Amino acid sequence: MNSEEILLKLAECVEFGKVNKAAPFPPAMKGMDGADELTRQALEMGVKPVDILNEALIKAMDKVGEKFTQKKIFVPQMLIAAKAMNASMEHLKPFFQSGEVKRKGKFIIGTVAGDLHDIGKNLVAMIVEGAGWEVIDLGVDVSAAKFLQAIKENEGAVVGLSALLTTTMLSMKNIVAEIKREYPNVTCLIGGAPINDQFMVEIGADGYSSDPQGAVNYLNALVA
Amino acid sequence: MDKTENIEEVISTLSNYSETFIPEIGEDDVNRVNILKGLGMTLADADDYLLELIDRFTLECLQLLQPKTCFSVYSDLHFDLKENTITISNQTFETGKTVTQLLKKSEAIVLFACTTGSAVTKLSKKLLSEGHVLEGLLVDLIGSELAESITEHLHTFIGTKFGKAGLNVSNRFSPGYCNWSVSEQQKLFPLLPGNHSGIQLTPSSLMIPIKSVSGILGVGTSVKKVAYKCDVCNDTKCIMRKSEL
Repeated sequence: MNSEEILLKLAECVEFGKVNKAAPFPPAMKGMDGADELTRQALEMGVKPVDILNEALIKAMDKVGEKFTQKKIFVPQMLIAAKAMNASMEHLKPFFQSGEVKRKGKFIIGTVAGDLHDIGKNLVAMIVEGAGWEVIDLGVDVSAAKFLQAIKENEGAVVGLSALLTTTMLSMKNIVAEIKREYPNVTCLIGGAPINDQFMVEIGADGYSSDPQGAVNYLNALVA
Repeated sequence: MDKTENIEEVISTLSNYSETFIPEIGEDDVNRVNILKGLGMTLADADDYLLELIDRFTLECLQLLQPKTCFSVYSDLHFDLKENTITISNQTFETGKTVTQLLKKSEAIVLFACTTGSAVTKLSKKLLSEGHVLEGLLVDLIGSELAESITEHLHTFIGTKFGKAGLNVSNRFSPGYCNWSVSEQQKLFPLLPGNHSGIQLTPSSLMIPIKSVSGILGVGTSVKKVAYKCDVCNDTKCIMRKSEL
């Protein structure tokens, strides 16, 4: 297998969610090497990590995103694809740390103070990371101070805020106000069940997305 | 027997009721269609792999389930149809038009709380932390479905109890839905019996364990269950929405 072939196979594994050889999904790829094994093999062959990221992983996740937008696949397939992507990314981590491979940008994400819901936030984090962004996940019940500290430590990062209660929407409003006061140029993207475009405008946030792919599309447009 | 005495007798009996109803929950209480709806899918969209995952984790969640319910019954009521409030034992709830209108003929109000316990949520978090995001999400959705099923069982139980005295029960309503603010949980909880089935309420009105449901329902000869008015409700993002706009 040459480098082009292995990158194609790796992209296919990510697109269809083949995490590793032992993974039972998808049934059509049972017993075949997955994203984990193929990434290791590609690196051993001398394929550049940046090519693995850009030519296989990101291209595959772009296809996944497109299929999701067209309603050809749904959240489960997106998550399995992202899992395969992350299995590959584990092998690329040393190259991110050394600076040899750069990601699209940084994305700080957290559920706002007073709110403990994290499922939606975790889905967004996973899909955004799968799209080639470095994600700094602050967790739940995140105060304005913690968001501000993370912004200070990660220059140029976009900030994502999640809230799932109407009571914690007020918390989101206050946190966005504090972020904008301290860092007027920081982009704030918001999401969560009770959130909508109108609320985004009301609190001075920059973007709103109702699903993880929307968040990816928004972030990618920022760096396009 | 005089109807008023009958109602008072029934209410008096049930007013002593606390955390003693624990429903039996089985596989039939988890509807795959609702789980798939939470994923933005229909049954036709799901493959065998996903359906098997749902079934597998349904069984696992049932093993972890620690269902508890509690309720209290109040007959000291006042309905303000202009302000759309319900005053229960000197506590005024800003229930909004939908809830107030549907409960206005109640002769008693039942306040309740139900929970799955914390083990299901712990499983979801564990799966997420291990990178099994799809599985963690499924357990979370199954947890929500189980919380609703426990509540449905309690609703039926209460209906049966009052039904023996010839009384009906209304739909149930929870703060955070039908334009009734979630912050009103703060007023509801002090009116629940005992330790509220072990459910704690945060200052932001989040219930812990997270897979818990609280609310009210009406009792009386002139109340009944009706279709939820989702088609005229402006909350398009409601996860309980039962009709498309």
